[in-house]
Amino acid sequence: MSHKLLATSAAALLAGTVAASACDDPIKVGVLHSLSGTMAISETTLKDTMEMLVDIQNEKGGVLGCQLEAVVVDPASDWPLFAEKARELLTVHEVDVIFGNWTSVSRKSVLPVIEELNGLLFYPVQYEGEESSKNVFYTGAAPNQQAIPATDYFLEELEVEKFALLGTDYVYPRTTNNILESYLQQKGIPAEDIFVNYTPFGHSDWSKIVADVVALGADGKKVGVISTINGDANVGFYKELAAAGISADDIPVVAFSVGEEELAGLDTSNLVGHLAAWNYFQSAESDANEEWVASWKERMGEDRVTNDPMEAHYIGFNMWVNAAEAAGTTDVDAVRTAMYGQEFPNLTGGTAVMLPNHHLAKPVLIGEIQEDGQFDIISQTEEVPGDAWTDFLPESAVLMSDWQEKGCGMFNTETNTCVQIKSNY
Amino acid sequence: MARFLVLLWIVFSLPASAVAQQADAPIQTLLQEHGEIIAKSSRRTIGPAIDALAASGLSEAQTVLERWQAKEMWLNEETGLFVWAEEIDRSTIRIFDFADNGEIGEVPDDNFKQLKPNSGIRGMIAAALVQFQLRDPSPAARARALTAIERDAEDSHLGALRATKEDEANPDLKARMERLERLLTIQFGETDEERIAAIDHFAGDLGLDVRAALNPLVATRVEAAEATPEGEDIVQTLSPGSDALSREEAYEILVRGDLAKPRISRDDKREALIANISDGTVAGVQVASLDSEEARDLAYAALARDGVVDAVATEAEVDETLATFTFFERYTGAPPAVALAAATVLNGIEAKVAVNQTADLALDAVSLASIYFLAAIGLAITFGVMGVINMAHGEFIMMGAYTGFVVQQFVPDHTVSIIIAIPLAFLVTFAAGVLMERTVIRHLYHRPLETLLATFGISIALQQIAKNIFGTQARPLTAPSWLDGSLVFNDIVSISYIRIAIFVLALLFLALFLFVMNRTRLGLEVRAVTQNPRMAASMGINPDKINMLTFGFGSGIAGIAGVAIGLYAKVTSEMGADYIVQAFMTVVVGGVGNIWGTLLGASLVGTLQKYIEFLNPSNTLAAQTYMILFIILFIQFRPRGIIALKGRAAEA
Repeated sequence: MSHKLLATSAAALLAGTVAASACDDPIKVGVLHSLSGTMAISETTLKDTMEMLVDIQNEKGGVLGCQLEAVVVDPASDWPLFAEKARELLTVHEVDVIFGNWTSVSRKSVLPVIEELNGLLFYPVQYEGEESSKNVFYTGAAPNQQAIPATDYFLEELEVEKFALLGTDYVYPRTTNNILESYLQQKGIPAEDIFVNYTPFGHSDWSKIVADVVALGADGKKVGVISTINGDANVGFYKELAAAGISADDIPVVAFSVGEEELAGLDTSNLVGHLAAWNYFQSAESDANEEWVASWKERMGEDRVTNDPMEAHYIGFNMWVNAAEAAGTTDVDAVRTAMYGQEFPNLTGGTAVMLPNHHLAKPVLIGEIQEDGQFDIISQTEEVPGDAWTDFLPESAVLMSDWQEKGCGMFNTETNTCVQIKSNY
Repeated sequence: MARFLVLLWIVFSLPASAVAQQADAPIQTLLQEHGEIIAKSSRRTIGPAIDALAASGLSEAQTVLERWQAKEMWLNEETGLFVWAEEIDRSTIRIFDFADNGEIGEVPDDNFKQLKPNSGIRGMIAAALVQFQLRDPSPAARARALTAIERDAEDSHLGALRATKEDEANPDLKARMERLERLLTIQFGETDEERIAAIDHFAGDLGLDVRAALNPLVATRVEAAEATPEGEDIVQTLSPGSDALSREEAYEILVRGDLAKPRISRDDKREALIANISDGTVAGVQVASLDSEEARDLAYAALARDGVVDAVATEAEVDETLATFTFFERYTGAPPAVALAAATVLNGIEAKVAVNQTADLALDAVSLASIYFLAAIGLAITFGVMGVINMAHGEFIMMGAYTGFVVQQFVPDHTVSIIIAIPLAFLVTFAAGVLMERTVIRHLYHRPLETLLATFGISIALQQIAKNIFGTQARPLTAPSWLDGSLVFNDIVSISYIRIAIFVLALLFLALFLFVMNRTRLGLEVRAVTQNPRMAASMGINPDKINMLTFGFGSGIAGIAGVAIGLYAKVTSEMGADYIVQAFMTVVVGGVGNIWGTLLGASLVGTLQKYIEFLNPSNTLAAQTYMILFIILFIQFRPRGIIALKGRAAEA
């Protein structure tokens, strides 16, 4: 009986899909974001974003005349599980493209699987660079699209002479701070004027570190803080800053991992004027953005905010749709070739371009925190092309990535050879 | 009729056309002159525009600077004229003319660009505004001017301060002005005498601003000469190879001054020799004989004589050259007399700074200890007295914090909401504790392993439930405004009021615990039941009920601790997990079953944590690791903790 029922319903379902479109199957879009565990705090939003993008695209008629279907899995903030789930998406669900990951360590875990099975991953978060995979498009910021311009802003506009680099203890802050230390020294900041500190995830006792930062100003130099503090540790950090009465005019703090979403958990009245550097802020003034924010709020509730990784998914997804239309198929290699040079208007009023190194050209925005938890954009650059290999570390300055012409993600420009194709470094 | 309509049209369009902007007013002309850099809005180029406005002598300049600083200046992109504006809604603004402050009208903001000076430019504007604001009738404006000088002092401010300070009526502002005047004298004073007098005045002052003013004066540079010159500006002579001046640095100074030949690293020398091998020889020397450093030096020198490579110094020559020079430090930041005065005062200050830093560290340690104590005190009851290993203790803390958050959603006044939240958090977690004791713990007494696993499972379940109800994002639990800010002793020693409140709360709980355990019937019965449940039962005590109430009491206290911890840190579903390890550590180190032990344990763990952080400021994670290592060692030597229970109670 139950078998029969199953069979009939499956047949009915099949008939339904066939009737709905001219496709054999809907095109499957894998969503690989943690819905539980420590990173759920940030990644759940991106899962919702992807579902919204898929729905919007389906209303427009899907891709290549087919409906899209989002296949959501939960890697549970467990890094090895990301690899398992990526394999499941590619082999069991046979998705055509994956949108996912937040932390760098989870991306590193997925890389071997996605390269082995020739999948396609869109990674939407700002990251530390020093990587280029044939099968990954990096729609978030590389260091030269976030960290370096923000540091320049500190050096030139705020005339900061002494730097405190505060970060959470894992790969992104450590690599970023290495790059920044090297960059600052090249800019003539002596090593003793750079204070580095790493704290564990979820750290809450900030009084001594804040006191250390204040004490840096004793020699009459202007102090600035570059924060790669991740996750909810930021709450305690900003509370301690506010309690210590540190004004943004005295010691400015620029954060690379604090966006609208993170500020929702904070009383921002004491943080007004502190900075964040991103490629997108909800307060950006453009028609596309207003429409985007409105449809997000309509779907998720009035008090929800939009943020930078959401815009990265928005651009990445739309570029993938256009590339698939241009290629006439969702075959990974064909789509990848069609991706190069894809242009799509970003939400801040410019145009994002996909470069042969799998990064986007995007503008860099610097915003000041306002009382309402939004950012006031005070500086917006032209589109900056993302650079996979930073120019500020000697060992990676000679490397470049060009998948379109050279077919190599780690190309040594001095010896004119491809160092390696796989990204297992 | 048509005429009437025309008239009507003129009348209604009059406000817009009649109050047209004065494009040729002097202030607008001035702005236009610098229009490009103002629109570009970069600190590096904006200087001339601000200077021109400040020096223009126009009465409107102050308005322009103030509006600009407040991000209220807009640029009409069609006409290129500057106006100031109020935002009415997202797309309309009401614009005003700078020339006469007259309203021009309400317009859509499509053609207007808001100028948003960054904080660097705002600082420069504030510095330029000082001359207007220092004599402003409003004390708030004068205070703003003083803040601007404190942040970004200029030469001209000294004169302005001196001119106004005598007339200042407000005593607070006057004191600030006098202090600032001295600080500026140190920086910009004309004669050495007045600078030294100002410096001496700050002897023993711990202010960060004083050290910031003095430190640049005592900047030194290391120089080299054949003989140390006489002069007041020579700080000390240095010998190469000492801690203050390494041999390499010393030689580098000589090379930079063209006083010596450059050096080359061994590897580079080797490369150069290899590059010049021909027929098995380098500069006529057999390669095979180049097996010592001296031989290689000789071969390299031969190459240099031939002009193939640049001449470099050998190690022996380096030593020889260094011996012929003396090295000394010279004051470069200020004239010698001023630098000496500054150095003397700074030395005195530094000694006091060290003492105060220790005091600040001690305050931090006390504060951390009280947080750990608060987190552990509930556990001291459930684990310490009853012997139940409750891994879900952290989740009771979390529940208390979320109770506070929920209360704040309904009671907007932060003071009242905290007063309501504290007992409510106790009730909620008391109920949760009783429920857990009745359903789970009761069946697992004296089976510690099963208790551990069961409560660990409950803790994960509670975390996930919290995620489902409150979402994954951190939630704000805002402290009442009278707890904002810090108690500031001086620029080094300060502690935030919220931490003082936690300290006081910890003391209150200690008192409450002692009172309940030693002075009430419940306490007596609890002690009786934990020592010997059967004997207690035969005396008419119901051990079941007592266990339930004790567990509830311990959980309830955890709930209140949650409110306090949420106020100073964050409210997330995982906050409990952050404290569970420290709480257990505190109880175990202190000695199970004794509240004074828990207090000592918290003090030990807190102090140790801060001390290791002080030794290793760049990695807080490492500090925690070392601390746990230390505690493992400690437990090896005192397995029962600092205060070990003796007698029958210990065997119970």
